[in-house]
Amino acid sequence: MSFELISQLNDKEKKLIILDADPIKIEQALQKELPAQLMDYRQDENLITLGIGSSIETIFCFLESDSENVFLTLSARVLDKKIKIISVVNQPESAEKLLAAGANKIIDPFEICSKKAYQLLTKPSITWLLDEAVFGRADLHMAEILIPENSYLDKTLISELHLNKLHNLFLIGVVDKELGEKLYFSLGEQEHVLDTGDILVVLGSNRDIKNFKKEIGVIE
Amino acid sequence: MLTRLTLYVAYSLKTSTHYQSVKRFFYDLLKNPQSKIKPYFDIFMILLVISSVSLLLYEIEHKTSKWAILFEDFVVTVFICEYLLRGWIYSDIHNLIIKQHEKTEYLGSTFHLHKVVILIINNKISYLLSPSAIIDLLAILPSYRPLRILRIFLIFRLFKLFRYSQSIQMFTGVLKNKRFELTTLAIFMSFLIFIASTAIYMFENQNMGGQVTDLYDAFYWAIVTVSTVGYGDITPVTTGGRLVTSALIITGLGVLAFFTSIIVAAFNEKMSEFQEERVKAHIEKLTDTTILCGFGRVGQDIALQLHANKHHFVIIDNNEQHITLAKQQGYVTLFADASRNSILERAGINNGAKAVLCTTNNDITNVYITLTSRYLNPDITIISRANHEENAKKMLQAGASYIVQSFNIAGLLAAEYIGHPVAFEAIHGILHGQKDIQMEALNICGDCYLTGLSIEEANFNQYKTRLIGVISKNPIHAKRRNRYKLHNQHFYFNPDPSFILYEGDILVLLGRELGIEYLHDLIITSRLQKTLEKPL
Repeated sequence: MSFELISQLNDKEKKLIILDADPIKIEQALQKELPAQLMDYRQDENLITLGIGSSIETIFCFLESDSENVFLTLSARVLDKKIKIISVVNQPESAEKLLAAGANKIIDPFEICSKKAYQLLTKPSITWLLDEAVFGRADLHMAEILIPENSYLDKTLISELHLNKLHNLFLIGVVDKELGEKLYFSLGEQEHVLDTGDILVVLGSNRDIKNFKKEIGVIE
Repeated sequence: MLTRLTLYVAYSLKTSTHYQSVKRFFYDLLKNPQSKIKPYFDIFMILLVISSVSLLLYEIEHKTSKWAILFEDFVVTVFICEYLLRGWIYSDIHNLIIKQHEKTEYLGSTFHLHKVVILIINNKISYLLSPSAIIDLLAILPSYRPLRILRIFLIFRLFKLFRYSQSIQMFTGVLKNKRFELTTLAIFMSFLIFIASTAIYMFENQNMGGQVTDLYDAFYWAIVTVSTVGYGDITPVTTGGRLVTSALIITGLGVLAFFTSIIVAAFNEKMSEFQEERVKAHIEKLTDTTILCGFGRVGQDIALQLHANKHHFVIIDNNEQHITLAKQQGYVTLFADASRNSILERAGINNGAKAVLCTTNNDITNVYITLTSRYLNPDITIISRANHEENAKKMLQAGASYIVQSFNIAGLLAAEYIGHPVAFEAIHGILHGQKDIQMEALNICGDCYLTGLSIEEANFNQYKTRLIGVISKNPIHAKRRNRYKLHNQHFYFNPDPSFILYEGDILVLLGRELGIEYLHDLIITSRLQKTLEKPL
C-alpha cells in the first residue's frame, strides 16, 4: 500500500527516502527506482543518524499496523518537537492514540474512500472540481500565498483586491495572523484588512498564480 | 351457426382492450398481491366480515332490527359479487375456446362445441371445489331463508379472513409444506383413538359397571384423554379401563409433542424465506435507491452517511458477520453474492435504483460487480473502489462511472497537506460538511429567472455567495477562456461578468448554507411562477 502513496508523493519534487525493516519491501522499492533504505525504525539511534531532529522536515508513518505507527510517531516526536508527522490509520479507534502520540495529521484511507464515494454519489461535479483543484490533475490549482513584508497588499481591504477580475484567480479565503490560524472564507460578509503574514488561499491556473505571486513580490 | 357465434365472441373478447382492462382491474383488486388497491379491498372485506359476524352474535339475544337486515343484505350482495367475480377471473373462457379451436384447426378435425363446454365446465368446477371458494359459498348460503338452519355456517365467514390476511396465508403455507408429516400423524391419531375408544367401550360399558353408555361416549372420552385435557366426566373404574387410560395418556403426550415439533420445525425452515420475502417487498417499495455491495469498513462508513441523509439503500454482502452488523443497524440487507444477476435484480437495479457502489476490498470482485451491473443497466451510475492503481482502468473498461482509489487519494492528500495545510483543512471541512460553508452545484432550468442573465446581472454576491465557475455543455460558451474538460461537459472557471447563463448550465457556488438555499428557492419559485403564467 505504501508504494502507491510514495509514487504519488514522489511527483511533488521533494526529497524523499523510504525506510523499512523488511528487506523484501526495500528490494521492491529499489526495483521501482525509488530511494529506499533498509533500517530498523524502532531504534532511536537509527532515526537520529537519518536526520530526525536536524535535517528532516516531515515524516510519513505508513506502516501496516497501527501500533507500529504509534511507536514511530512517539519516537519521532520525542526526538524533534517541530517535525511534521503524518500517519495513516487503519482502525478508527487508533486515531486518537496517534494524535496523542504527537501526529500532526492522520489519514484514514477507508474513511476517505467512503466519503469520496458518497460525494461522487451526491455531488459528482463538485467532487470533480475539488479533485482537480486539490490534486491538480488539470491546470487548476489551489495555492496558499503568504503576503510578504513591504508588499503593496499590506493594509489593503479584501474587497479592493478584485482577484477574479485582475488576476483571474478565485479567492477562497484568508488566514488572518492576528486572529489565529482559522481560515475566513471570503463571502463578502465582513471586511478584512490584509497585513504582512496573512495567507491568501486562492484557486486558479498555474500561470495566473505565478503571475500574481510575482506581482506581490513573493517570487522574483 | 352457434359455433361460429361462439368463436366470434371469443375472438372479439380477446382483442377488446376494454374487456381486458376491466378484467385486469378486477384481477388487481382481488388477486394480484403486488397491486396497490388490493390491500384496501382486503381491509374493507375484513371489516365487513367482522361486523357481519358481530351482528350475528348480537342478534342471538336481541331483536333483529330493520337496519340489521339491510346491512345483512348488503354484506351478502358484496359476497355474492366477489364470489362471481373470482369465478370470472379464475380463468379466461375465451382463451379456452380459442385454444381448442386452434388445436382442431391444426389437426384438421372438426370443432365440437360440446367438447369446449365440457372443458369450460371442468375448469369452473375446479374453481368451485377450491377450498377458498367453498368457504366463500358457505359464507353466503346460510343467508338464504330456506337454509336458515345452516346459520351456524355464518361463522364460516370468519374463515374468509384467510383470503385477506397475509400472515394467515403464511401459516397455511407452512402447514401445507408439512402435509406428509401431518397426514402420518393424523392416520396414527385416528388409529389410536379408534383402538382406545373400542377398548374403553369393551372394558367400561354399563354391563361391566362402567360409565360409558355407547361408542360415541367412548370416542368422546378417547379424544379428551389423548389430548391430555381429561375433564373427568367419564372416568374408568375397571382395571382394564385404567390400563387403557394410562397407555392412552402416555401416547397422547408423545403425539402432542410430535405435533408441536412439526409445526415449530416448519416455521423455522420457512422463517428465513419469509424474511427474504419481506425484504424483497420492502425493496420494491423503495425509489432512488443506492445498491451498496460490500459492508466492510468503507461500506459501513458510506451506509452511515447515506442513513444520516435519509437516502434509501440496499446492502448486499456475502459475509455473515457484516450482514449481522448491518441488520443490527436496521438497514435493508441481502445476504448474497452481489455479482449474481438475480441478486442485483432483486436489489432493484432495473427498478428504482439510481446507483451501484462496489466497495468490497477485493478489486476482482469490484470489477465483476461493475461489469454485471453495467450489463444489467446501461444507464445506472456505478462507483467502484480500486485498491490498486492498475485496476482502475479495468474498472472503467468494465463500465464504472467513477473510480475511488482509496490509497491513491490518501497519498495525494498527504502530499497536499505538506504543501497547503490551511487550504487542505478548509476544503476538507467543506467537503465533509463540518462547517456551514458549502460548495454546491445549482442547475439552471429553462424557466427560471436566471436564464439569459449575465453573471453581472445575476449578482450572486448579494446573497453572500460566490461563483467559482459554471459547468455547461452548451457550445455557446466554447470560446470563453478558462475552460476545463469535465466528462462530456466543460467547466468554466471564474467566468467574465458578461458570461450569459443558459438553460442546463450548472452554477458552482461557495457560500453559507443559508445563502445557497435561499438562491435555490429563488430559482425554484421563479420557475414555478413562469410555468403558472404560461397557460394564461
